[in-house]
Amino acid sequence: MTSLGSSSSSATEYTVRVPKNTSKKYNIMAFNAGDRVSCSTWTQARMERDMSARRIYGEEETTEGAAGSEFGKKQREEARRKKFGIVTREFKVEDQPWILKVNGKAGKRFKGIKKGGVTENASYYIFTQCPDGAFEAFPVHGWYNFTPLAKHRTLTAEEAEEEWGRRNKVVNHFSIMLQRRLREQERGEDEEDEADKSGKKKKKGGSGRGGDLRIHDLDDDLEMSSDDSDSSAGEDGDSKSKVKKDTGKGKAKKKKKKSNESEALEDSDDGDYEGLEVDYMSDESSSDEEPEKGKPTKGEDLPKGIDEASESEEESEEEKQNDEEAKEEEEEEEGKKTPVQMEKKKKKDSSGESDSSDDSDIEGETASALFMKKRTPPKRGGGRGSAGSSRTGSRPGTPSIDSASTSNTLRAAASKLEQGKRQTQGPGTDSPAAKRLKMEPSSQSPVPSGKSTPQPPSGKSTPSSSDVQLTEEAVRRYLIRKPMTTKDLLKKFQTKRTGLSSEQTVNVLAQILKRLNPERKNVNDKMHFYLTE
Amino acid sequence: MSDKTEVNLTGVKQSKGVWLVKVPKYLSQQWDKATDKGEVGKITIGKKKDKTEVCFSLNAELSALGTVGEKDGTPQVPRDHPFTMHSVGGRTMAVFSQSDTDEISLEGMVVHRAECRPVVNDNYMKLKKLQIEESTKPQRLSQQLERAVTTVFKPVANHDFNVEYEKKKRSEGKMVRAERQVVLDMLFSAFEKHQYYNIKDLVDITRQPVTYLKEIMREIGTYNSKGAHKSTWELRPEYRHYQSAEEEEEMQTT
Repeated sequence: MTSLGSSSSSATEYTVRVPKNTSKKYNIMAFNAGDRVSCSTWTQARMERDMSARRIYGEEETTEGAAGSEFGKKQREEARRKKFGIVTREFKVEDQPWILKVNGKAGKRFKGIKKGGVTENASYYIFTQCPDGAFEAFPVHGWYNFTPLAKHRTLTAEEAEEEWGRRNKVVNHFSIMLQRRLREQERGEDEEDEADKSGKKKKKGGSGRGGDLRIHDLDDDLEMSSDDSDSSAGEDGDSKSKVKKDTGKGKAKKKKKKSNESEALEDSDDGDYEGLEVDYMSDESSSDEEPEKGKPTKGEDLPKGIDEASESEEESEEEKQNDEEAKEEEEEEEGKKTPVQMEKKKKKDSSGESDSSDDSDIEGETASALFMKKRTPPKRGGGRGSAGSSRTGSRPGTPSIDSASTSNTLRAAASKLEQGKRQTQGPGTDSPAAKRLKMEPSSQSPVPSGKSTPQPPSGKSTPSSSDVQLTEEAVRRYLIRKPMTTKDLLKKFQTKRTGLSSEQTVNVLAQILKRLNPERKNVNDKMHFYLTE
Repeated sequence: MSDKTEVNLTGVKQSKGVWLVKVPKYLSQQWDKATDKGEVGKITIGKKKDKTEVCFSLNAELSALGTVGEKDGTPQVPRDHPFTMHSVGGRTMAVFSQSDTDEISLEGMVVHRAECRPVVNDNYMKLKKLQIEESTKPQRLSQQLERAVTTVFKPVANHDFNVEYEKKKRSEGKMVRAERQVVLDMLFSAFEKHQYYNIKDLVDITRQPVTYLKEIMREIGTYNSKGAHKSTWELRPEYRHYQSAEEEEEMQTT
């Protein structure tokens, strides 16, 4: 009954009714403001209770008698629970959350969780206006807060925790889900596939996580990722994700490569090896990446010195958790000599995983050093011989690109020095070398002085003599006199005096040492050679 | 998940706007006392200088706190309650109802929130005082006894209990050995229901002396000393035939 007031403050009166016999229970469905839910846009909706908690609460007896059941088991269980004070909360259907599905399969989904304590101190009523103008008040039975459910893939709790730990280091967050997807693909892939493309990934990541940013927290990697993310920052969301995918993949590989040498770079204190040519990745990288062979991959080159080379070899070996993959990778990448391979295999067998004994390290070190020396010179020599001067011109500014050329020239030189000893190309120890260099803090100081400078191809394949000749005789003399490390030896044959480039010096010296086969002794953690005649 | 209920969206389609009103407990209690027709009061909506004023006034007969008809002595529930109105503040709130038959329908959207406040006067204060007194009473109460409790002695054995026990024992008498066949039947029917039994439970069921019962069980069953069903008796494999969900059992008597 309404009565219109006629005064300025117009007041209308309505009766309020509280119906007694409602069979319906009224509840509130509350959404968050930010979700911008508009009920008027719903064409159809389905709602049901979320019974997933029932499993946890009610362990229904599978056999209520007959086989497998005991007499009085339930009572006994209950008595036991009471004794220990275990209070099991009952599973009340009323308190279970709702699942609301709007607009069918493709629409939104919401989860409505009951809010407690609503009806404790005050009652809520819903006032609706009836056609006759009176108000009807219904009590609110329960209050449910509805939140939208994510349809996209999310990280599991464990993954989320891991990513949380890396949050300061990860710049490109898109790659997180990308890597996850790739990982899932990998698990379903063939062995071969994995060996080929993700062999490195695995090697790097161990758990097959993709070479994302796994092993090392280096600024290099971060720079790369930030570059990529910057470049794609300007794009739209969707295209961004696609670009991310592509760049991510490429980036992952790039990173892997880069990480190879960046590891080396990190450890080589002064950035000595920045300009060093890299010749090991040329085969592989060209096959699956942009032509940026870059200094990537090889700071680890032999010009670094025998010590380092051997160390880095060792390091990378130890680092490899998977022997087979390492081997595979080496084979793929370099096609280097088998002696080196065998050498490594032996070392691997003897040394086992990361904790290899020092002895075996040292044992293999020099040998591998010698082998490596042998290996790369052939490459270099060959390169040099074939390259000629055309490539040399491009050399100075971009040491990375001309790794091939140097290697060729060196190869030629080496081939002249050594004839019968060369066998099939073994795996590239350069990247392993790089890794090893980084991973193993070696007591032997890296890099004799001469290695830092990039080597302009001189076209000289044979050492020319000035004051001091780098000959076997000379080396022998030194070694007889007193035990020397390779570093010391190299110091004796300074580039200025012998006229050789430091690379050449190193190579030649390695060969000489091989021929001499001096005895080794470990003094102050450094490998010394000496001869007794 | 079974029974996915299709939500009736008619309320929302019609854009029915409802008010969500917070009502004090005592008021809702009074409303519960309303008659069948359900009329509890009146709402006055007025506009005073651009401000909407809503006031609810309770029906006179409902304002007594005590039982209907009793008016004097008990403080009266205040009658006038202005509503304070708020907007929903961005939060979308809808009202859905669930009927007895588990039908869910969306009744409408909340357009206004309101709080029902009483007019604060002496009457109301008295009412509140009563309420507070009630609520501050502790649930548990310690009472001082005038006389010491003398009913609890320190018996060696509980006398009453003992007496009962002896009486029970005497009335039942010693458990008599029944016929072997009878006992076997009892056992087999028991094992139809459950697979594993404790000897005590079997004694309970069969009312047989323990030794006799054990003898029989040794014949037809085995004793599990280890495992999940520890220290229980079960029938021998040849005597049992349990089907996964059914309770068929083949009995083979000796």
